[in-house]
Amino acid sequence: MSRRRFFVYWVGFAVIVALLAVAPLVLPEFWRRFLTEILIWGLLAMSSDILIGYTGMVSFGHSAFFGLGMYGAAAALLGSSPPNLWLALLYGLASAAAVAAFVAYFSTRLRDIYFAITTLIFSQIFYVVIFTSTAWTGGENGLNFSRPRFAIPYLFSLRFTPAVLHWFVLAIVALSYLLLRRITHSPFGMVLQSIRENEARTRAIGYAVERYKIVAVMLSGVFAGLAGVLYALQNQFAAPDFVFFVVSGEVVIYNVVGGIGTLVGPVVGAAFFLLLREAFSRFFTEFYLIPLGVIFIAIVIFMPRGLLGFARRWLNG
Amino acid sequence: MTNIGDTTSAGVARPEPTRRRLVGWGAAGASLAFGGAIFGSPLWRVAIAQAKPYKIGSVHSLTGPGAPVGKTALIGVQMAVDRINNAGGINGRKIELVVEDDETKPDVGRRKVEKLLVEDQIDAQVGGEISSICLACMPVYDDHQVVNMIGVCLDTTITTSKCNRYSFRPYDYAPAQAVAFAPYLVGKLGKKWHIIYADYAWGQSTRDAYAEQIKKNGGDVVGGTGIPIGTADMTPFLSKISGEFDGLFGIFFGADGVTLGNQAFDLGLTKKYKWAGDGAMCESTNLPGLGHKIDGFTGINRYVPVMDAPLDTPYHKAFFEEAVARLKKMDPSGPLPDRYVQSNYEAVNALKLGIEKSGFQGRDDTPKLIAALEGLEMKEGPDFPQGDKTLRKEDHQAFVREFIYEVKDGGYHIKDVVPKEKTIVPPACTFSA
Repeated sequence: MSRRRFFVYWVGFAVIVALLAVAPLVLPEFWRRFLTEILIWGLLAMSSDILIGYTGMVSFGHSAFFGLGMYGAAAALLGSSPPNLWLALLYGLASAAAVAAFVAYFSTRLRDIYFAITTLIFSQIFYVVIFTSTAWTGGENGLNFSRPRFAIPYLFSLRFTPAVLHWFVLAIVALSYLLLRRITHSPFGMVLQSIRENEARTRAIGYAVERYKIVAVMLSGVFAGLAGVLYALQNQFAAPDFVFFVVSGEVVIYNVVGGIGTLVGPVVGAAFFLLLREAFSRFFTEFYLIPLGVIFIAIVIFMPRGLLGFARRWLNG
Repeated sequence: MTNIGDTTSAGVARPEPTRRRLVGWGAAGASLAFGGAIFGSPLWRVAIAQAKPYKIGSVHSLTGPGAPVGKTALIGVQMAVDRINNAGGINGRKIELVVEDDETKPDVGRRKVEKLLVEDQIDAQVGGEISSICLACMPVYDDHQVVNMIGVCLDTTITTSKCNRYSFRPYDYAPAQAVAFAPYLVGKLGKKWHIIYADYAWGQSTRDAYAEQIKKNGGDVVGGTGIPIGTADMTPFLSKISGEFDGLFGIFFGADGVTLGNQAFDLGLTKKYKWAGDGAMCESTNLPGLGHKIDGFTGINRYVPVMDAPLDTPYHKAFFEEAVARLKKMDPSGPLPDRYVQSNYEAVNALKLGIEKSGFQGRDDTPKLIAALEGLEMKEGPDFPQGDKTLRKEDHQAFVREFIYEVKDGGYHIKDVVPKEKTIVPPACTFSA
């Protein structure tokens, strides 16, 4: 990266984070909350980009990682008195990591459509288990719980007001982005991209491809679980609907719309898709999915690299 | 404090007061005081409020798997709102209905409820079909302190372990139906029962309620078969059902009810055993799909679309005919109204009654509205064609009369009517402070 590009990149990053940080102070209540939700869905989409964009593995199992992160946090929040934020994070991340390890072990032996179908089936298995285990998971009705305080013992203890929650989510999403960016630029990330480009050749030059793929699925799963924990904190409920494969499908759409293999693109895609859905639903009530579908098809045809790829090409003249 | 005629801190001399000026100031002051008294008084607030309509939110599943129920339920809400508005509104104020689609997803439902409460500033909400969405949204009404009249959601916990001071269920729930139905099941159909249920939260809790009441009435539940919802081929489950018992009791709804009814008939189970179940098994919308195979089924429901006594009233006829006409516009096959139309229609009217009783003008009066709704007695009439009902104070759960019916030649035949007093279940709710 040239010195100028480096400067432009960090200034741009700082400006966007600053704007997002100021947003809850100026936005009306509904949009403030909605922006926080967009960041959470953006993190989920970003996590799946590790697989879709960088490793070339389309996953339909992200709903399982997201949902298990949510249920892990729910278990911690219901089991601790008073509810503990850090325990919720720990339980959520541990649940998502365990599920990701399990799914990765079996599914990474497969490629392309077979990998996608296997991840989809795993997510459906977890969905059915959660849906029918009413005594543990609340079944169809899910679990409701209280929001913990944002506290570090002996230092401070804050109530999670909408603004505090927004800043907390923003900090986690921004840090996750920086961490994932570092990983994708590291030698490990280069190997993942090599697998995407030519798996056989990567194996031939001596890389243990399966091991790299397992780590990629786990990494992706842990960040998806983190998004699940944040969603649980914001909405104070966990429901089996979030484990259903439709959520994974939406995440793939966010990637395609925003631009895969960019980390930021899926966040942009999530924001674009959610905002458009909200806007259309206000005018067309139950028919809003039709214009939304038309726009999605148009983006796939006319902007194959997604909104971010289109913007880059346009900016570069 | 500076007096008139003093010099202000900026050093500009104020004019000396003249008699005329003093009179002018006095008149202006008196006008302001009078205006303030009028505009600030509760009377004026009422007058301002009366100039604008009541804003009622209505969240339904209009897309996604819950759409068939959601669209039907919305018809009930619209029927009641149109009727109220055509009669001049409530306390002279019309109702403005703001409809939102929750897409049959709890996250979208919650966002739509936030939008209704924060942006649209609704005065109250009537609606909700899917229990998981109702339960996810209930804390939001609590946070914003707005009354939520639930329209369809069935889950027992809504008015028990997860009850909420701002949410009301103005129709029945499974424990009350079990209390109403169990004496008939054990006394007239058989002592030993096998329950087939939809294997998820609603099916499981309904199974437990019936099992408890059947045992209380001297019967026994000798077995149970849980089938996952959406199972297209139930025969692997049904073919394992055998043994010495008198009756088979089904707890399913929607397309699953149709699947179970048809496949249980094909396997000969409905001939071998007495065949009964929850009313959701064969709602009027399911009857065409079940055909003659459901003949002989005994069910319980708060509403059946028939004109037999005691539903042979002019107000039920008016409700029925209008509902049929509206449903035909939505579905040209012309389905008969079901309990989803009925309970949403009556939920709006229950809210209307509460508003009239409490003098509710807007959100500030929510505590008064809650007080009016708690213990509300609803009398059978044009507002409540289903019959009398009571909205219990302790848990915001209504108790209504129940109809036990048998399906014959593709239609319902009322066999027994259980008054609301014989459906009572002890409250199991503690409202948070």
